[in-house]
Amino acid sequence: MMSALKLMPLLLAWGGIVAALARYFPARRTWLLISCASSFVGGLAGGNLLLTLFKGEIASGAVKSLVGMCFLCLWVVALAAFYRVTGSGGRSIPGERKKPYMSVASGAASLAGLLAGAICVCRLAPQGAGVPLLPLFVLGVAGALLAAVAIGVERFVPADITVTGESLLALIVSLLLFASSFSLQLDLFSPLSMKVMKFIHDFVHQFFESMLMPDHLFFRRDVWEYIGYLFGSSVGFWGALLIWFAPVILICAAIRLERLPSVVHIRQGAQRRKLLAAFIRERRCRLTVPCFAMLILGVAVYNSRFPRVEYWDPKPVAVAMNASGEIVIPKKAEIDLEDGKLHKYLFKQGGREARFMILSTPDGHLTVTLDACAICKPDGYGQAEGAVICYYCKTLIPLETVGKPGGCNPVPVPFKVGADRVSIDAMTILNRWSETVTTTSRIKGGGK
Amino acid sequence: MVTDIIETRGLTRSYGEICALKPLDLLVPEGEWLSVMGHSGSGKSTLLNLLGGLDRPSGGSLQLGGEDLMTLSEDGLARFRREFVGIIFQQHHLVPYLTALENVMMAQYFHSVPDEAEACMALERVGLGKRLKNRPGELSGGEQQRVCIARAIINSPKLLLGDEPTGNLDHQNTGMVMELLKELRSEQQFTIILVTHNREVADWGDRIICLDDGALVREERAGR
Repeated sequence: MMSALKLMPLLLAWGGIVAALARYFPARRTWLLISCASSFVGGLAGGNLLLTLFKGEIASGAVKSLVGMCFLCLWVVALAAFYRVTGSGGRSIPGERKKPYMSVASGAASLAGLLAGAICVCRLAPQGAGVPLLPLFVLGVAGALLAAVAIGVERFVPADITVTGESLLALIVSLLLFASSFSLQLDLFSPLSMKVMKFIHDFVHQFFESMLMPDHLFFRRDVWEYIGYLFGSSVGFWGALLIWFAPVILICAAIRLERLPSVVHIRQGAQRRKLLAAFIRERRCRLTVPCFAMLILGVAVYNSRFPRVEYWDPKPVAVAMNASGEIVIPKKAEIDLEDGKLHKYLFKQGGREARFMILSTPDGHLTVTLDACAICKPDGYGQAEGAVICYYCKTLIPLETVGKPGGCNPVPVPFKVGADRVSIDAMTILNRWSETVTTTSRIKGGGK
Repeated sequence: MVTDIIETRGLTRSYGEICALKPLDLLVPEGEWLSVMGHSGSGKSTLLNLLGGLDRPSGGSLQLGGEDLMTLSEDGLARFRREFVGIIFQQHHLVPYLTALENVMMAQYFHSVPDEAEACMALERVGLGKRLKNRPGELSGGEQQRVCIARAIINSPKLLLGDEPTGNLDHQNTGMVMELLKELRSEQQFTIILVTHNREVADWGDRIICLDDGALVREERAGR
């Protein structure tokens, strides 16, 4: 029941994709239905095979890359559309659209169906394991039936709402991104905003390096505080938002900027105006689909910013060091360190403090890391869906890689594992916290 | 061959128990100027409202330009009025806070898209080329009626309806307006149906029909 609810928005998105395809390829309904249904089932099977054969991260990574490539295609198409109307000799009125080839219709349907199916199966199996056959079969049948229903329902959508090639792509990609946004592993907006943030961060560093300026020492602290705004998550968010919406905005602009048809050959003024009014109205109707795509993209951003995932985030337990300067934590006491969950601790010593966490990775190894990474502000981590997530930049860290250094991974700390305990050198952990975390929080708003 | 632009068969309109228009059979050939005469309450305006798609008949059939008005939806009727009919009222019904030009452009806006140059030409055609920026309150009755004519013809209607268009005008202005309508008809070939009390005005038409108590009582060729 919960799985069905989880998949409801994804299946609705799939229905939307099929309806949009049916509107664009009205003469190929039967063929479209066959292509959509079979490719959706194919996507389910393919996604499940990936999940079964490889680790969850690889499977979801592959699906996410494909959706990302679709988004890149949308960018290219949007730029081309915008150039067509604004470039030299811009287009006036779109010519009579040629009847699309059956291969084009089925190709578009197949690609969309494969991706939608794969996204659904990844959503159904967030822990990275394959989905059992029965739910997979039910999902396949539901997807195929929904395709048939969507093709039927599409007839009731007002005939004025027409779909161009560009707006069809915009709608399909936005619906795929919307479907992806329900899964932490498939979400593209958070990684995008993180990349923008890191790009700006790296760009500023590279700039200072190329100018041979010792950046952290060159300016006073208050100057750095202003520069620090550039590294903040809000800059990443707004930058990502721009990249996210720009292609659809470009498509809308391309439609809006289409030149009016020439009516000089029509003698009667009223007829001339009627023709122009019909074109303007038709152009306005063509904006409906990209505007709807923009709305869908907005919902995807909302999903990404406020995921409906309950993070496992225990309150840090205060610990003290023993006489030999070690923090000793028993493996099995009130807290079972090997239960696969994240456990957080807080160590305070003479005005200094360090927050760290202990986690048993899926291969059974215990890891001790700081509750912070070397890049972001130390907002800490939560655990959900087979990964830990950095609260600051929303990066997902697969459990398998926790304990390894680099990137947004939590900073590893040296420790010793005994038969029944884990011991960590107290001074080492305090120094590690000071070295990494204090530096990252030196700048208002963000990273190092 | 001249086709009939208006064809009514047993056209009636009742308001409760009051029969404002008794069954009327009427044929109006394309391009004709038909004057409708009658006393107050004889059903002239009722007939005009039905022909203009402003009101729906209670019975009978009504074909205008090949379109059956009885079967048209509200949207269809609105489209029909927009594209097919131009109306001139006795009281002008110009928007007081818009200029003469804007009043004409408003009719263009509701039809399709405004075109200032074309609206200017229409006003120049009715002799108001120098009064484009004047509001109705700054125009005389005759000038207001000419703005009304420009507004009515701007969308090239096939049927021009006039409900006592000269009722508020003096003899000289009446003559000017009627002369203008005659010239415009010969240029644009539209059909005119004019409701009037005034025999002199009715005589500008090709044919006169007289209504009394909602029924057609007399039909004659006009005298000019």
